[in-house]
Amino acid sequence: MNQKQPIVRKRDEQFATRTVTRIWDEEPSAENPYLARSCRCHGYDILELARKRSFVDVLFLIFQGELPSPNKAKLLETLMIITMNLGPRHPGTRAAMNAGVGKTNTAHILPISLSVISGSHLGGEEVVEAMHFLRKKRKFSPREIADDLQNSPRPLKGDWHIVPGFGSRFGDIDPMPQQTASLLLDLQGDWKTLQWGDDFSKAIKPHNLGWLSTGVTAAVLCDLGFHPRAGAGIFQILSAPGLFAHGLEMANKPLTAMPFLDEEHYIIEKKDP
Amino acid sequence: MKKKIHRSDFSFWDTHRGTIHSTIGGWIIGEAVYCHGYDMMEELIGKASYFQVLVLNITGRLPERRLAECIEAIFLCVSYPDSRIWCNQIGSLGGTLRSSPVAAACAGILASDSRMYGAGTLLAGIELTKNVVKLKRSGMTVEDIIKSYQRTPKSPPVMIGFSRPIASGDERIETLDQTTKQLGFERGEHLALAYEIQEILLQKTGEGMNLLGYIAPFFCDQGFTPQEIYRLVSIMVNSGVLACYAEAADNPPESFFPLHCNDIDYQGPASRPVPDKE
Repeated sequence: MNQKQPIVRKRDEQFATRTVTRIWDEEPSAENPYLARSCRCHGYDILELARKRSFVDVLFLIFQGELPSPNKAKLLETLMIITMNLGPRHPGTRAAMNAGVGKTNTAHILPISLSVISGSHLGGEEVVEAMHFLRKKRKFSPREIADDLQNSPRPLKGDWHIVPGFGSRFGDIDPMPQQTASLLLDLQGDWKTLQWGDDFSKAIKPHNLGWLSTGVTAAVLCDLGFHPRAGAGIFQILSAPGLFAHGLEMANKPLTAMPFLDEEHYIIEKKDP
Repeated sequence: MKKKIHRSDFSFWDTHRGTIHSTIGGWIIGEAVYCHGYDMMEELIGKASYFQVLVLNITGRLPERRLAECIEAIFLCVSYPDSRIWCNQIGSLGGTLRSSPVAAACAGILASDSRMYGAGTLLAGIELTKNVVKLKRSGMTVEDIIKSYQRTPKSPPVMIGFSRPIASGDERIETLDQTTKQLGFERGEHLALAYEIQEILLQKTGEGMNLLGYIAPFFCDQGFTPQEIYRLVSIMVNSGVLACYAEAADNPPESFFPLHCNDIDYQGPASRPVPDKE
């Protein structure tokens, strides 16, 4: 061995001998231990769940370990409908459409667009950060928090997210998240984080700022008992149907079905020194 | 009749259970990192190029540096920093939403697994390359080979590797051909035939060889298998995607190519009430 090389020693760490999960239990078949003859999700037989419960109930169960109350199930289902499609102008959806019209393998449309909506602007990371913000601040007065924040630095160009999940979109208050928050607040239940967020959005309204879609999702996930680390992935699961539908809509259309800017509109500029 | 008793045989999977068997190498902690028999620290890093090790990792064969330089040139040929190109635009869209560069690059690379462009076209291009050589060896003329790719006598031949989206002609072919020549590579059987096909197609349809039309026969001439070629070029658009990501990520969020509501041409049903549940 080369004498100049530092000595590399394996650390004395104890790794698990078997992978641990609390989510899923598989009972092996009598004939073949690689095959399961029954599966239980947090103790419930999956076939029994399929017979008796809704998709939303089991979605909640797989993450939280218990079936939801009727109010929580309704809140999650309503959020799922609201978040199902980010719309054809959203950059995440446009990534899906680009992949579709570009004849990308259709199995890749969803992972492509989910990767694009993973970020800190109207994406999964912003949901996570908004959940952290809401959990940390919801015990304080929303108006006081808004007042404390009003002098925080505003970007010279583009939108201002005063805190994750709240701000402007294209220079204004985005009307859709305000309406979806109101709809969700009308549902039966005591949705403390959602209510706090709504009060906060009203407090920042004079600055032409309000709820963002990521903020609404974050507040609902907090009220449903999700940890912030689940926020990005749940947001991606909820947004997936619209992303894939728009990508798929483009997949059998000709390449010319989407704009391809001509040279007049693709301007190569010199960079400022 | 005697009832047939089914006996499960899962012994094959049992031989793999709890162990990983590898012929490519690995990290023997405190000893060395082996890569297809080479000691990575002693024999590769600082001595071989990234592209030589890429070929070694994928094929198990350490190529000459000049072949690795050809592959690097091929990667450069798909590194256009133009956000109109589909995979690159996905990089831009990731940048404008502040996804991580890794997420955006992966998304862009995935997009290039396409039937129309990028690595996804490779297997079909190689199949054509191998088929036309087989037909030539069987005695067919180049004219007749091209005719065999026409659906009807009057329709144009459909030959992947000899047309290109957006533009006809390909500015990369001459530069790449000069590069391979300078590195001492002669045109082999597959590439020479591709040029013969191009000559006739240019007269007949005005369509010439595209990058796929060049690299598929080039790699075949160098003795790579189709799967090896697909794996070698799988991430080749990475650089252009990241160029577009970087520009969008350095500008304000959602300022990349924003759209008005009316920039989308909705052609679905007009507004209608939602029926009540039955």
